[in-house]
Amino acid sequence: MKAAKILALVAAALAFATLPLWADQGIMFLAGLVLIEAVFALSWNLLFGFTGLASFGHAAFFAIGAYLTGYALRTALGVPFLLLIMGSGILGAAVAVLTGLVLLRRTTGIHLAIFTLALAEVLRIIIGYSTVLGREDGLASIPRPALDFGFATINLASGTAYYWFLCVAASLLAGLLWLVCHGPFGRVLVSIRQDPERAAFMGVNVPAYRLLAFTISGGVAAMSGALYAPWAQIVTPESAHWIHSTQPMLASLLGGAHSFYGPIIGTVLFSVINYLTRDLVGLAELVIGLILLVIVLAAPNGVVGLLQAAWRRATRSSRTPEAMPQSVGDAT
Amino acid sequence: MAMIDIVFTLVNGLATGMAVFLVAAGLTLIFGILKILNFAHGAFFMIGAYVSYSIIGSNPSSLWLFVAAAFAGGIVVGALGYVADKIVLRRLRDVDEAYMLIATFAVLLVCSGVVKLIWGVDYASVNPPPLLDGAVEIGQLFIPTYSIFVIISGLIVFILLDFAIHRTWLGKLLQSVANDSWMSGLLGINVPIALTATVIVSFMLAGLAGGLLLANQTLSPILGESYLLLAFMAVIIGGLGNVRGAFIAAALLGIIESGSSLILPNMPGMATYIFVIAFLLAKPQGLLGAHRI
Repeated sequence: MKAAKILALVAAALAFATLPLWADQGIMFLAGLVLIEAVFALSWNLLFGFTGLASFGHAAFFAIGAYLTGYALRTALGVPFLLLIMGSGILGAAVAVLTGLVLLRRTTGIHLAIFTLALAEVLRIIIGYSTVLGREDGLASIPRPALDFGFATINLASGTAYYWFLCVAASLLAGLLWLVCHGPFGRVLVSIRQDPERAAFMGVNVPAYRLLAFTISGGVAAMSGALYAPWAQIVTPESAHWIHSTQPMLASLLGGAHSFYGPIIGTVLFSVINYLTRDLVGLAELVIGLILLVIVLAAPNGVVGLLQAAWRRATRSSRTPEAMPQSVGDAT
Repeated sequence: MAMIDIVFTLVNGLATGMAVFLVAAGLTLIFGILKILNFAHGAFFMIGAYVSYSIIGSNPSSLWLFVAAAFAGGIVVGALGYVADKIVLRRLRDVDEAYMLIATFAVLLVCSGVVKLIWGVDYASVNPPPLLDGAVEIGQLFIPTYSIFVIISGLIVFILLDFAIHRTWLGKLLQSVANDSWMSGLLGINVPIALTATVIVSFMLAGLAGGLLLANQTLSPILGESYLLLAFMAVIIGGLGNVRGAFIAAALLGIIESGSSLILPNMPGMATYIFVIAFLLAKPQGLLGAHRI
């Protein structure tokens, strides 16, 4: 299992890294979006898949990062790009702390979903009203920046250069989330998801852990937004729309919310389905909806869960049952 | 701000509120009895609207035809509700809330995909039937007849639903199922049939609302969203699953929405969301949350 996983990871990394060499500009643009949306989905799933909190307004954090970076680049404030990404993350995290402090202590489940949805809509309306942020038209023609390391400068103006930068940045952010999810911190989060009451009984400070997860999630979502602004070169209030908030949910569920890599696989699948069905309006929604339905009803652990089950079945036939590891996926 | 503006805003708000209630009624009913928050409700509302549109076209010739088409929409959507219950909702009775929301969101995607495939993405609009096309004049006050029609429709649906739930044998039966379905089963109530019937009625209400609210708005595949969010807020503020609460909350939200367009004309919807957030922080259980249905 482990070898297969590493092999798949290396193959995926190679495919993404070499993509500009063999695919056209359009595909490369979509692949870049996949990288950004995958980080966004991972940040959402830290909340849902690991902590058991469903945010329905996550696009708000994405929009915060996208608008901050887009605005700063357009007005040429002279802030280094890497610092802008960090700044977006800090702003997103700060907003997450403030909202989390109020919301998380009072609400979970459906109420949290509605709250986050309403807050994100308020942000979208404010953006749509703000003249500085271009109202409903958004910020257009955002320039792609250059990376200045002092000793060397890398110009990201060309699509290919920025794409490779995206590959590196997305991998770093995903790696950061991997560390968060797989350390002791991640284990505590999973225990909170499985049974908050029992976790509290064991001495876990449940509200503090939830707040911290919310903060990290908001910060990373904002950073994915920061990566998005120069890639699309336009940011509109649509990025804060609740439809955008549902993207990471669909991706995570499609891929498998209880697996770290699920949201990434889901994002890729989602884009492939969208791309293949682009000629007939409505077909993409129909196909994605049906697949999602089948997954939620029949395979709550998503594509990763299906793969794990298939793997177990395949190995069971060749090995003795005693050698089998116990299932770790817990369908809710 | 003249008195006349305030009265006009109130009437307008009431019309919006009753429109929201027409959508919220089925939503809160299905939650009250099945504990399912149905994200796809807006999509079925939209299908009801499209079905009615297919029957009457852009210029309905009479009020009766308009209402009959709305009922036809309700019946078609009610039948879809039966199918949705058989395939999807039945399996969601015991799963986690988040999965339930996502499953019904998947149904929403399927519905909007099907609507786009059948009716296309072009916008269409429907005029009110001749009888509802004008306006009533009281002094200086102009009230569109269609607004009055929507207010009356909302009141009728509320009164019928409230009567059915609180005063009839069937309603009491449903209340007992909502309170304790296991115990109701022991007492000889056919719980699965009661639940399926609730789903069908809830969907019929969605389809009927689609037909009744058809006039004066643009028919497009995003129609479902426009009322869904407001209806959601009404259901949450009213106390999940409570029809009376949803009625009061819908009226309140409509008046706030219409009032905010008088005071903050540049930020439509803003005041509503702020009200919802503030209200829920103060009273997370909603207006009448303690008493189900």
